[in-house]
Amino acid sequence: MELKLTADEAAFRTEVRDFLKRELTPEVWQAHRDLNEQGMWTPDFTKAFRRKLGAAGYIGMGWPKEYGGGGRSRVYQAIFWDEMEYHRAPGLDRSITYVPNAIMALGSAAQKADLLPKMSRGELSWFVGYSEPDAGSDLASLKTRAVEDGDHFVITGQKSFSSDAHMADYGWIATRTDPTSSKHRGLSMFIVDMTLPGVTVTKYPTLAGWTHHAVHFDQVRVPRSMMVGELHQGWKVVMGAIDFERAALSGAGLVGYQFDRLLAWCMQDREGAGRKLDDPLVQDELVRLAIEAEGARLMSYWLASLHAKGFKPQHETSLALLVKRETARRLDVAGLELLGPFAPLRTGSPWAALEGEVEVEYRDHLYFQFAAGGFDITRNVVATRGLGLPR
Amino acid sequence: MDITIDDDQRLLRDTALAFAQKALTPARIRELETTEHGFDAKVWRQMAEMGWAGAVFPEEYGGSGAGLLELALIVEALGQAAVPSPIYSTVVEAGLLLLDAGSPAQRENYLPRIAAGDAIMTTAITEPGGGLAPGEIRTNITPAGNGFTVNGTKLFVRDAGAAEGIICLGRSGKGETDLTLVIVPRDAPGLKLRRLQAAGGESLWEAIFDNATVDADAIVGEPGGAWPHVARLHLRGAALKSAELVGIGQASLDLTLSYSKTRIQFERPIGSFQGVQHHCAEMYRDLEVSRLLAWQAAASLGEGLAGDRETAMAKAKTSEAMPALTRTAHQIHGAIAYYRDYPLELYYHRAIAAQAAYGDAGHHRRALARLLREDLGRFRGDSPHDLPVHYV
Repeated sequence: MELKLTADEAAFRTEVRDFLKRELTPEVWQAHRDLNEQGMWTPDFTKAFRRKLGAAGYIGMGWPKEYGGGGRSRVYQAIFWDEMEYHRAPGLDRSITYVPNAIMALGSAAQKADLLPKMSRGELSWFVGYSEPDAGSDLASLKTRAVEDGDHFVITGQKSFSSDAHMADYGWIATRTDPTSSKHRGLSMFIVDMTLPGVTVTKYPTLAGWTHHAVHFDQVRVPRSMMVGELHQGWKVVMGAIDFERAALSGAGLVGYQFDRLLAWCMQDREGAGRKLDDPLVQDELVRLAIEAEGARLMSYWLASLHAKGFKPQHETSLALLVKRETARRLDVAGLELLGPFAPLRTGSPWAALEGEVEVEYRDHLYFQFAAGGFDITRNVVATRGLGLPR
Repeated sequence: MDITIDDDQRLLRDTALAFAQKALTPARIRELETTEHGFDAKVWRQMAEMGWAGAVFPEEYGGSGAGLLELALIVEALGQAAVPSPIYSTVVEAGLLLLDAGSPAQRENYLPRIAAGDAIMTTAITEPGGGLAPGEIRTNITPAGNGFTVNGTKLFVRDAGAAEGIICLGRSGKGETDLTLVIVPRDAPGLKLRRLQAAGGESLWEAIFDNATVDADAIVGEPGGAWPHVARLHLRGAALKSAELVGIGQASLDLTLSYSKTRIQFERPIGSFQGVQHHCAEMYRDLEVSRLLAWQAAASLGEGLAGDRETAMAKAKTSEAMPALTRTAHQIHGAIAYYRDYPLELYYHRAIAAQAAYGDAGHHRRALARLLREDLGRFRGDSPHDLPVHYV
């Protein structure tokens, strides 16, 4: 057990932090922050920023050397994710975490050669097409069809809750290729160019203030070469790399930032009311939150340490994500309470506290409770895959 | 950074657990709870032979120079197997206190015999006030003749009945921390012991010092200089009890999982119901978070870092979460585990005792609140981030 960063790891953290501070100045923040977007930044800025991450070598730094990566340990990736979250930087999503690792693990040689170099440079944006109107928790019941037609497959169907589909270059799409076989069997995975004829993206405003998307596929002809893995083996692909996304999502930075922000608020000497921090009840609440945040931080780096030592954590990844997101929600709720009458004031309002961020996140983070597994599904996964309880 | 234990530590934990789980039957553990000393002397000797009693002592005193994290892994295993032992009184309290503050002669006299399993020692610190603050100490240590006279009442003295000596904390001057430690032999005139009946199987005692006299060489450390050593003892105890609570939680979860997989109701194992699964997932979540906090606390103290923040976080978390875990374990078991012949009750009781030892959750949250007010940098764990104050 080594509780502190090594000198090299600490230097890397400083380097990333300096990079983020340099790139995300108050002026940049003012110009490109966009609460109407799921990622909280404009799509153009997100794409440009992802290219900068690529140019700085941050996207591929943990990839194996054979794919042009830097071969750095997962502890460095965890540090990178931590800092990205803490600074609420754009672009830390499936396009640089989940999809490239899935392609490395499961893609064809041609897919790797074509896509990985572009992805390491941050040039590609992706959406992941799993959920459908009638296939959520029960993902294996998905209905989008892919019908073989010579060198192509013809895809027809609808994907829903499709994060960032409006800015995606490619879709990572789960389809049903064998309608006669039962659920998990008979699925196949495709990489779909979003400019192909027959792809349309529709909008749904969310209660968080940003717009979510659905994607319709109407007889979209996709070359066979864009199938990932073997025919009817799509479930393996879905499962194969999902832990990587959860690991990336379990970064410690968000929770650390949420806590620090509330602490800063409580230290403010408010006219006539003094400091919140001088109230023993507030101290107790901050202490309790600090313990939970420390637990989430340790879990995140524990997971990275396991990877760095060559273990292959699986359900532990789900557990770490659950701990992080539950802690984030606790901090959201505590924020409402600590802000008192200022809690409902929105970003841009006169007298908005903490620039309205607490209110934004209280709404935004609601999706933590149901997305990418969600709290209850994650408990099912931990109980069955982790603890061996019968299904 | 590496938030995992290494292969040697893993092996130590596995070995300790394998031994502890075979050392005593549940029936023998229950029987020991009714005995004066509360532990099995033969088992303690075996533990000493395996090197655990002296693990954290330097080699010159018969130890192996292991760190506090190694000791934490041992008490985690003992907690998981519910094996009572004098490891807290003799090693965590008296032994490390003597290593920390004792004279060369005291170290040479006691530490090798502790490491060999030949000497049981303990400390007497807490008083009827019940807290861990220096201002609560009313026991007086006054010079008399060639030595000192001790007067006062001490509570929660571990293994006093079996100890050859009790290291007693007393007031030697007017200042709040003008405190001194002296070794009082158990058979010293004027020392009266009374066993407390406590949940959890530990042998806890009241010790009344009524003009107990000791020689000048009984003093441990500098006169008036005891408090920093005692404060470290409390931190050590709290970090290790956190690890023990993790062991208690692990055992409770293991029993619950095995019951849930085999107990059939409505023609299926109850573990297939999501109501039960979600309870188990939450128990596991709290257990793993607690484990990392406990390991971090022991490792920080073992590396000679302040460790105060880390220990307070660990003990505050485990003291709430692990007793809660035992309550959920009982809820899932239902009536069967309410009977004393089912082993879950051992952990239910031990959790009561362990959450109270070396400061309960409230004590440690108060310590963290003090850090929050007085040392923000430490409170934030020397975080690399500046506080985001641009908008306040």
